[in-house]
Amino acid sequence: MTAVSAGQLLPWLLVAPLAWAVIAVLIESRRGALTIAVHAIGVLLHVALGVALYTSVARSGPAAHALGGWSAPLGIGLRADGLAVTLVLLTAVVSAACAVYVMTTERAAHDADAETPRYFWPLFWLLVTSLNGIWLAGDLFNLYVGLELLGLSAVGLVALGGSETALSSALRYLMAALLGSLAYLLGVALIYAAYGTLALPELAELIAREPLTQLAIALMTIGLCLKTALFPLHGWLPPAHGVALTPVSALLSALVVKGSFYILFRLWFDVAPEAVTPLAAQGLGVLGAGAVLWGGWQALREPKLKMLVAHSTVAQLGYLFLFFPLAVGTGVSAAALATQGMLLHLVAHAFAKSAMFLASGTLIAAAGRGGVADLAGIGRHMPMSLFAFGLAGVSLMGLPPSGGFNAKWLLLQSALASGQWFWLCVLLSGGLLTAGYVFRVFRESFVESKDSQFTPTPRGYDWVALTLAAMAIALGLASQAPLSTMTSGLRVMAGGT
Amino acid sequence: MRRRVARHAVAGVASVAVGIALWQAIGVRSIPTVSLPALVREAMPASGVSHDITAVLLNFRSYDTLLEIAVLLAAAVVALALRDTPRERMPASQPYLILDTFVWRITPLLVLVAAYLLWAGSTRPGGAFQAGSVLAGAAVLLRLSGLAVLSVDDRLASRVVVVFGLSVFLLVAAGTLLAGQPLLAYPPAWAGALILMIEAALTLSIAVVLFSLFDNAPQSRPAAAPAQRGEA
Repeated sequence: MTAVSAGQLLPWLLVAPLAWAVIAVLIESRRGALTIAVHAIGVLLHVALGVALYTSVARSGPAAHALGGWSAPLGIGLRADGLAVTLVLLTAVVSAACAVYVMTTERAAHDADAETPRYFWPLFWLLVTSLNGIWLAGDLFNLYVGLELLGLSAVGLVALGGSETALSSALRYLMAALLGSLAYLLGVALIYAAYGTLALPELAELIAREPLTQLAIALMTIGLCLKTALFPLHGWLPPAHGVALTPVSALLSALVVKGSFYILFRLWFDVAPEAVTPLAAQGLGVLGAGAVLWGGWQALREPKLKMLVAHSTVAQLGYLFLFFPLAVGTGVSAAALATQGMLLHLVAHAFAKSAMFLASGTLIAAAGRGGVADLAGIGRHMPMSLFAFGLAGVSLMGLPPSGGFNAKWLLLQSALASGQWFWLCVLLSGGLLTAGYVFRVFRESFVESKDSQFTPTPRGYDWVALTLAAMAIALGLASQAPLSTMTSGLRVMAGGT
Repeated sequence: MRRRVARHAVAGVASVAVGIALWQAIGVRSIPTVSLPALVREAMPASGVSHDITAVLLNFRSYDTLLEIAVLLAAAVVALALRDTPRERMPASQPYLILDTFVWRITPLLVLVAAYLLWAGSTRPGGAFQAGSVLAGAAVLLRLSGLAVLSVDDRLASRVVVVFGLSVFLLVAAGTLLAGQPLLAYPPAWAGALILMIEAALTLSIAVVLFSLFDNAPQSRPAAAPAQRGEA
């Protein structure tokens, strides 16, 4: 088995989940032990592939795979650097946790002869395929296809809720996603017209600072910001993430919105650092700050628990955009600190937010209703879920020790190193707002209430949420190894702009 | 009403701005130094087909096509998940002599056209997507005229046909990997045959998926429709 190189491993991360999507369609009518076993095998295989790829690239450097045996620009290349394989592993772990949550639901439903949503698994595997496709893509048009598959499977998963609000939220999400993809595609067409190639490594050498290129980058940036729900283009996110089934919300907030952000990062810092301007970066930073404050404020006054967590996603995505003004047009050390902070925040938020959504879903299942006020008295009955919620909250607030704390600390140091102290105020007030809405949930939960009834929930739910939350915390204790893997070989670390 | 006007204004201004920017930018574009068409011409002899678009779609960039087929599967799955159950069958229409005769005559022709388009794909414009669309059109015609009760639903048979094209494509992909080759690197001697086989399988699934989107679309509810439009 030692002979398998990372390059040979790459395509299996696409073939395996796609094969499980096909299998999932074929066994859709079956319920119970068989489906759970089949998908458990798929999840284990996927995690094993992710771990193997990560260790191989972390040990012996980036890998590539020329699809069809045709080298770029004629063919399409897959490439795996440290950042890509870290995100592949993150996807494997978070999606596995969500899968276990769904399996727990299915087992409980099977025992109780209840119905579970149909066609979850095919869409789940298609979503995983598209995420891996995006992390590993080496071609602008291929990224577009990946975005379309990601968007459509995510919209489908939201619609599975089946209620009228689920359908209208899904439709709104679909429109936003389509508009974003089209803006991106328009930019891709312009790039192709100007340079005659779509391969990322080639484009990185060719791209120059000229009006057509900048227009293309601007169009792609707008499209990707819409898909990442950057304030003020975030209106579609809270209803979609708030109304979806709990494990779907976790997948969407933890991973899906990161897909379009990842493309934006690659575009600005790997492909076209010559064409982007500090002014545009400051603009993205201002919008990010708007997201941190507005999302936090909305979460603070939101009456429904899952919507509160969804607004929190809008705010936390804002931090990702604070990275742009800290890394474009600043010194090497500020840019390096900002990159580390942003990437760590991306990973820590994925763990913390999926944990928080899963814990919230469990609390709602126990309380039977979705309001924050309905949690009164739940502290006594559901200590484990509440503990997971709290641990995730620690990372989101940026309290030590947690991945979220280290990430915000790095961003803060970068703001100081580049002399942009005003981003500090955003970081601090964002943390306060986060503390505000997390403690709001706790205040309600510890209210003593005699008349509230709680349904017991499966144990598995709590273990899954706790594991994810513990990972967000553990990331604060051991940030160095994943950080050095993620940032190795990135142009921005060497002061590319 | 006020919001609607504001929205239209925003949309109008954005469209005009993007239009002007594109117009300006296209005027100053440089001539690319890389020429993909030339690279395609060079590699054509090894592609297994003699039409360049088919070579790009099914050989040079076959991975894009594989993911696009996955996009179609996602659409079909969402439609299946959301279809109304139990469904009301569309009432059988009154027999119309002219319509029925026309549909009966044209359906075999459409099947023939689809087969030709599939076959032609390797040498001239054509291929799985075109052939699949024609087949799906024939199925829609049969359904609308009430002559055949086709439907794509939860039955195993339906699901098998929906994933058939993707399965064949994936098996070829896995086969190339297991043979120690890059993903979808066909052996040159087999390339033509493999591409035709994949395209044939895709034709069937594309036709069924497109028809299923028509078949599983929610039946229009006349009372609800105007209200929704007003709200949007």
